[in-house]
Amino acid sequence: MKPTKIDFAKLLKNYKSGWVGISSDFKSVISSGKTLKEVQEKTKETKEKIYFFPADQTYNDFIG
Amino acid sequence: MKFDFSPLPTITSKKVFAPIVPITFRTKNHEFSTFALVGSGTSGALISTIIAEALGIEWDNIPTEVGFTPSGTFRFHKTKNIEADIDGNVFPLSISIAEGISPYQCILGQNDLFQKAKIIFESYKKQFEIIFREFN
Repeated sequence: MKPTKIDFAKLLKNYKSGWVGISSDFKSVISSGKTLKEVQEKTKETKEKIYFFPADQTYNDFIG
Repeated sequence: MKFDFSPLPTITSKKVFAPIVPITFRTKNHEFSTFALVGSGTSGALISTIIAEALGIEWDNIPTEVGFTPSGTFRFHKTKNIEADIDGNVFPLSISIAEGISPYQCILGQNDLFQKAKIIFESYKKQFEIIFREFN
């Protein structure tokens, strides 16, 4: 079975602020907005499961 | 379930890869799906105050505790009334709602996901696997 790949570098390429709603196959951004609440509101009627993720973060080496 | 380590955006052209899983949190009246870092060195699960609010948790009414990281301390609020769902594997969570955490808004650790599943990291292949334990 092929491993699941979630490529945030690709998904968030055109989003530098706020939050995004990502499709359940993890291949596309369905909605975006300045705040999480805004994205939730925009996707309220969507039947597909939406995964919410911040677009305004940069990730360098993490120790934890 | 096998996952590739996720490429993440950085401020430079350097690529950062991290073990990240899709997860759905549920409370009595709310549901929220996002992505969590699988933190092998993290003691217990953490979510941000933003995620807590999306789950309808009034975190500022929960007593404040102090946690430690290699670079200092952080303030958190402990809550138990959360359920986690990873690919249909559902388990209860005792979770810390941490103030001012970034960049990861959600981290799972040794006291939660690592108790429920065998997790195999193959960093040389940039892959990891989660095998949930079977409970009778």
